[in-house]
Amino acid sequence: MNKLIFEKDNKVPCSYIRKPDLDIKEPSNFIPREFLRETLNLPSPGELEVVRHYTNLSELNFCVDKNFYPLGSCTMKYNPKINEELANLENFLNIHPYQDNKDLQGTLELIYNLEKILCEITGMSRFTFQPSSGAQGELTGLLMIKKYNKIKKNKKYKVIVPTSSHGTNPASIAMCGYEVVNVNTTKDGLVDIDELKNIVDNSVAAMMLTNPNTLGLFEEDILKIKDIIHNVGAFLYYDGANFNALLGITKPSIMGFDIIHLNLHKTFSTPHGCGGPGLGAVGVSKEFVDFLPVPIVDKKGENFYLNYKVRNTIGRIRSFICNFSVLVKAYSYLLRLGSSGLLKIAYIAVLNANYIKERLKQYFELPSEKPCMHEVVFSCKRQKEKGITALDIAKSLIDYGIHPPTIYFPLIVKEAIMIEPTETENKKTLDYFIDAMIKINEEIDKDPNKIKNSPHKAPVRRVDEVKAARELDLAYKPKDVSNFCDNRDV
Amino acid sequence: MSYILNTKEDIREILKIIGKNSLEDLFSHLPKEIVLDKSLNLNDGLSEQEVRERIKNLSLKNKPISEYNSFLGGGLYDHYIPSAVKYLSSLPEFVSAYTPYQAECSQGILQAIYEYQSYICLLTGLDVSCASLLDGASSFAEGVLMALRINKRSEVIVSSLIHPEYERTLRTYLSGFNFKIKKVGFTENGTLNLKELENLINKDTSLIAFQSPNFLGYIEDIEKIVCLAKNTGALTVMITNPLSLAILKEPAKFGVDIVCGEGNVLGGDLNFGGSCFGFLATKMEFVRQIPGRLVGRTTDLNGNTSFCLTLQAREQHIRREKATSNICSNSSFNAIRAAIYLSLLGKDGLYKVALYSLNLAHYLYERLKEIKYISFPFSDYFFNEFTYKISNSKSFFNKLYKKKIIPGLLLNKFNFSDCILISCTEKKTKEDIDNFILTIKEIYE
Repeated sequence: MNKLIFEKDNKVPCSYIRKPDLDIKEPSNFIPREFLRETLNLPSPGELEVVRHYTNLSELNFCVDKNFYPLGSCTMKYNPKINEELANLENFLNIHPYQDNKDLQGTLELIYNLEKILCEITGMSRFTFQPSSGAQGELTGLLMIKKYNKIKKNKKYKVIVPTSSHGTNPASIAMCGYEVVNVNTTKDGLVDIDELKNIVDNSVAAMMLTNPNTLGLFEEDILKIKDIIHNVGAFLYYDGANFNALLGITKPSIMGFDIIHLNLHKTFSTPHGCGGPGLGAVGVSKEFVDFLPVPIVDKKGENFYLNYKVRNTIGRIRSFICNFSVLVKAYSYLLRLGSSGLLKIAYIAVLNANYIKERLKQYFELPSEKPCMHEVVFSCKRQKEKGITALDIAKSLIDYGIHPPTIYFPLIVKEAIMIEPTETENKKTLDYFIDAMIKINEEIDKDPNKIKNSPHKAPVRRVDEVKAARELDLAYKPKDVSNFCDNRDV
Repeated sequence: MSYILNTKEDIREILKIIGKNSLEDLFSHLPKEIVLDKSLNLNDGLSEQEVRERIKNLSLKNKPISEYNSFLGGGLYDHYIPSAVKYLSSLPEFVSAYTPYQAECSQGILQAIYEYQSYICLLTGLDVSCASLLDGASSFAEGVLMALRINKRSEVIVSSLIHPEYERTLRTYLSGFNFKIKKVGFTENGTLNLKELENLINKDTSLIAFQSPNFLGYIEDIEKIVCLAKNTGALTVMITNPLSLAILKEPAKFGVDIVCGEGNVLGGDLNFGGSCFGFLATKMEFVRQIPGRLVGRTTDLNGNTSFCLTLQAREQHIRREKATSNICSNSSFNAIRAAIYLSLLGKDGLYKVALYSLNLAHYLYERLKEIKYISFPFSDYFFNEFTYKISNSKSFFNKLYKKKIIPGLLLNKFNFSDCILISCTEKKTKEDIDNFILTIKEIYE
């Protein structure tokens, strides 16, 4: 195993920082000693050690650039390199958000242009780019609905979610102080319309829906759902995590959604960076434009500016403006694709998922007979009867150099394994994956222990997660307390 | 244009296997009423060359801060970033990976985050740091919600001298609930009014939220604030600049319960304020209430050291509405970048960054004293940032801006009329400061 950076301390003095042409004084000359720290126990390994350390660490990871990464619901498509280069242009990086508007014209114009494109793709009226994740987008959307109801003096306190929804949906509802109401899915895997009709009443503020849903199925009754929700004065919220399947096919506005979020880090190819930064752009219908967080980017004459005058704004959801670097990448991607490129994404994403479904359905149980969209969910129930779980199968895939699909989600499918190939993978890669899944399935009968004890070729063997939770070790504790005052060159 | 590798033959073959006649057929089960009958009204796709030109030209419409002699701060500072930070943080195995759910093929990410968590614990003196949150303001809101969960009390006392955008974010985050927010004022020192705080605090007070160094740049008497909180069993949530902790005492040593803030100062680009990352650290006793991911060190099947996400039962993908937060995507990449920055600088480097910023800011302060039109409304100790006052500050500001000097952040819009918040980083030189002073003298004398 790699040593921790803290165990590589060489006490190398730092030479990155220019010494100012001043008589440098100790902190105690400016600040009373009781406010100052006595020791600073950071390692100083030196540049080569640090470069080696993090390069070696990086090599222990699977990533899209190296591996097929069919992590369901996460849309791990290829991240074009031009996007990275453009996001790192000096004139974007060296901009402080508190500079004068006239210094920011390029940045603001990019945001303005991107918003226009997203409005066309989704049919929404305006977007905010403040939310830094899908979940924060959900919270933003729900808080707008809450404020709307407060102003209209509507007594509403419930939000409906399907039991198959992403965990962030109910968690966001709770953070907004609304009550979560679950609606079940039918055996086909779609929202149970009859149950929905029974649940709905005037106390419902909204329903949150992912479409295609987390089983990878299109909610065919979407227009009925829309009517049921709108008829009680409630709003339909679109969790756009799965929008990749519908680019250019339909628009959330046409499906009847009032507020939506798009995960730019999924659908629009901005990389996930070990879990973030992302960006959950929130689009709204006309009714909610006055509720958007501030500031938004507007144009007066030829000038772009940050507009803080939004009548019923919910306020702010973060400091500064947005995760701008993510916007540059998404914009670059959208310019590259254009309208026909976007449509092709939907076509091929759905094609690839259906191919996996077709080839694997005789080996793994399908929870629904419905045609799938961009991802396919199987249940490993049959394998479980032989003592092999979805987790075991996932870990075995690592030995084939494949990142495991999402497992145990959606929660309503037993031993779920959720596969999202994305449009950027070709048939050859899909065949390799399919063959691996079939081989693993065969090995369950021949050599179950091999599967149970997998992975065998990863940098570590199966990690003891139970121990991690029982014997919490969440940070390195330095053993030697070296004095702050030694080894300094100021 | 697209990034699709399947050939026409591949597509034909797959369609045959799945029993479809065309790609359109894949969508034949969608209701007819919702399917678009024409293509999106967008341009055709462009070549990479055209996209590069177009976006590069957009960027050239910006005037970057490097063209100015800038003293702008206010929560985001222009520090030096070693080349190796940029190099290492562009490694594809960090850029194009997802949240490390599958430990065995994500050990590098997990160890790097564990090291990040350790760094935050070393700086703050606290026991536990989450794997990162979204940005400074939302990490503050999460910290407040966390404290409210811990003691289940109903009132929040917030310092008037936290960053105004953080306060606004907090109010948005709390707008779904019925908690009472009380604000506590400040003295002519530019720090919290402790007498007023003492009067406001009562048995319903869940927490005292404050920032140090505060929004105006001044260092709070943390020990006294914590002491007042402890008298009634309230918790303390402190926003800080992690760089200041290279010289200022660890908040844990004063007994602060939750420390949070913006981590961008640790090796992040300004980038128009994003992407940033939020950090949040707390005591071990509160670990089960912490929001966000946590990486733990454990062993594998062979007993070898390894890492994995842990205490996931707090999180939304398992607990749904009972989770500690809705957070899923975070800013792990930026947190790893911070760990890389701290490792490269080492203790000597980080200390120098803080020390030079401190010295330059105090030199600037001394030089500004020479200008008789400028006054200093507050008198307390400061780190890299302080506040000065000049009548007609807006016109003063514009005059200097025209001369390519940004004399700080105008606080008029934050209700401190004619006040300007000014900061120095180690990137400033004595010459920069001398030129600034000379220019003011030229304008006013």
